[in-house]
Amino acid sequence: MTDVVGGRRSDGASALLVLAMLADARLPTGAHAHSAGLEPAVQAGLLTPAPPLTGGRGTGHPATRTPPATGASTAPRGGGGRGGEDVARVPALAATRLRTVTATEAGAAVVARHLWLDRRDLAPVEHAWAARTPSPAVRDAARRLGRGYLRLALALWPDDLDGAFPAGSAPPRPLVAGAIGAVTGLDALQVALLVGYDDVQTIASAALKLTPLDPATTTRWVLDLHPAVAAMAADVAHLTDPDDIPSAGAPMTDAWAQTHARTTRRLFHG
Amino acid sequence: MAPSPLLGEDGAVPVPTHVEVGRHTHTGVDVLQATTEQHTTGTTTTRVAVTVDGDLEVEGEALEACRLPDERGRVRVALVSAGCAGRNGRIEVEVPAGRGLEIVEVTGSGTHDVRRTRTQWLLDVRLGRDAVLVWPSLPIVVADGADVLRLTHVDLAPGARAVLRETLVLGRAGAAGGRIRSTVRARLDDRPLLAETFVAEPAPLLAGAPAERRLDTLLVLGARLDHPEAMQLEHEGTMLRGPAARVHDGDLGRLVPASVASAHALASSAP
Repeated sequence: MTDVVGGRRSDGASALLVLAMLADARLPTGAHAHSAGLEPAVQAGLLTPAPPLTGGRGTGHPATRTPPATGASTAPRGGGGRGGEDVARVPALAATRLRTVTATEAGAAVVARHLWLDRRDLAPVEHAWAARTPSPAVRDAARRLGRGYLRLALALWPDDLDGAFPAGSAPPRPLVAGAIGAVTGLDALQVALLVGYDDVQTIASAALKLTPLDPATTTRWVLDLHPAVAAMAADVAHLTDPDDIPSAGAPMTDAWAQTHARTTRRLFHG
Repeated sequence: MAPSPLLGEDGAVPVPTHVEVGRHTHTGVDVLQATTEQHTTGTTTTRVAVTVDGDLEVEGEALEACRLPDERGRVRVALVSAGCAGRNGRIEVEVPAGRGLEIVEVTGSGTHDVRRTRTQWLLDVRLGRDAVLVWPSLPIVVADGADVLRLTHVDLAPGARAVLRETLVLGRAGAAGGRIRSTVRARLDDRPLLAETFVAEPAPLLAGAPAERRLDTLLVLGARLDHPEAMQLEHEGTMLRGPAARVHDGDLGRLVPASVASAHALASSAP
């Protein structure tokens, strides 16, 4: 085993420690102010139980029920309301994001890492990510997170990241995460895992602030989602071309984010 | 709190049972890459082009075209399906620099019970500098058993604008509907403007779900439409989407004229 303390960037232990550091909620990037789309979804009624199904309940999985009644706070339906919340929809939301928004972000991070290994221009990655992110509210949230990441990254690796992002640019977080990966020895799969894990963990910790829950429950969600995170990461880890970044749309996520951005009653930026 | 514009009259989110959380109704894999190689057998190609002189050229047998009177300088053409349901089709649309084209669909390209068959439609649109295309599609009904792949590629030169509308209806009332994957890829001045894949699969019928499950999308590419519920793309373009049959101020179709006006406004103000 290599010496961790004096470890070079390319050795495994060093990369793992960087990965742990980047995935740590205590990292000063402002990520605590984000809910990865959970608050917008909750405001739209994600947790409000669906009215009873008619006919055969062959598909009784909570996540396959009718999506949320809305205006939960003012017009509970089907006996819904606080106390009867369908919290199983929170990890289901995270799973959906792993196939849509988060797959796009992870793909962008992987391609950004690939390009920055050779110090190539990252603008095409940003264009590709933006084209796959039609909601300005979702783009704004990713850029707000990117700003926090970039500020920290430029303090830690100023030389290695010199030229990655022009002054005044507002790269979304996945681009910054990819560039950090390139200069700290993370491989493509690790970068994709980081993005996927971060999204899931962000949702889990935000859930604790949005509804009464046992922290062990939300941690169980994260653990149970590990296979989905790994599968998503494996799907995008080979990418090198911005055109190949996944582009699966999420119309409801977009709509919820747009509505959330217009409200003033919120805990999180997005 | 005012109800969200995307809600049905009963205050419920009326759709989309097909984009619910927790089901494999989305794919993280880009459909375009996964399927274009199968786009080979039995494909009919129709080409609709405006010439630099403003004439209309139509080639191919899958669709019948009928020229309508021009409007606001746009060449207008009505497309009528010639009974090609269940086959694969490719429609190429080309508008040269400075010209305008409006495509009027007379019959919906509904996929009526194409059982166990994959239907692929590739729409390949090329717009020259300052060209305008208006193409409000009729609803695509994805009936039970259908498996539809729809790829829309739009290549816009600088100053070009397109107004496109796509309505996907998953099954008729009381039916679970088929499967559809719709990918839109647009480039403006050779830079990505929009890349999105929407996947919907048959979903069990649920109480509270609307009679029709539909996704209505209005796209303005190369120009922006100012509307409170619109999503403004990063670069010149607007997406307005109503997962419900009704959005805030009625059918999205009513916004098509405003979209066209915004496209033309840009044209007249262009240097």
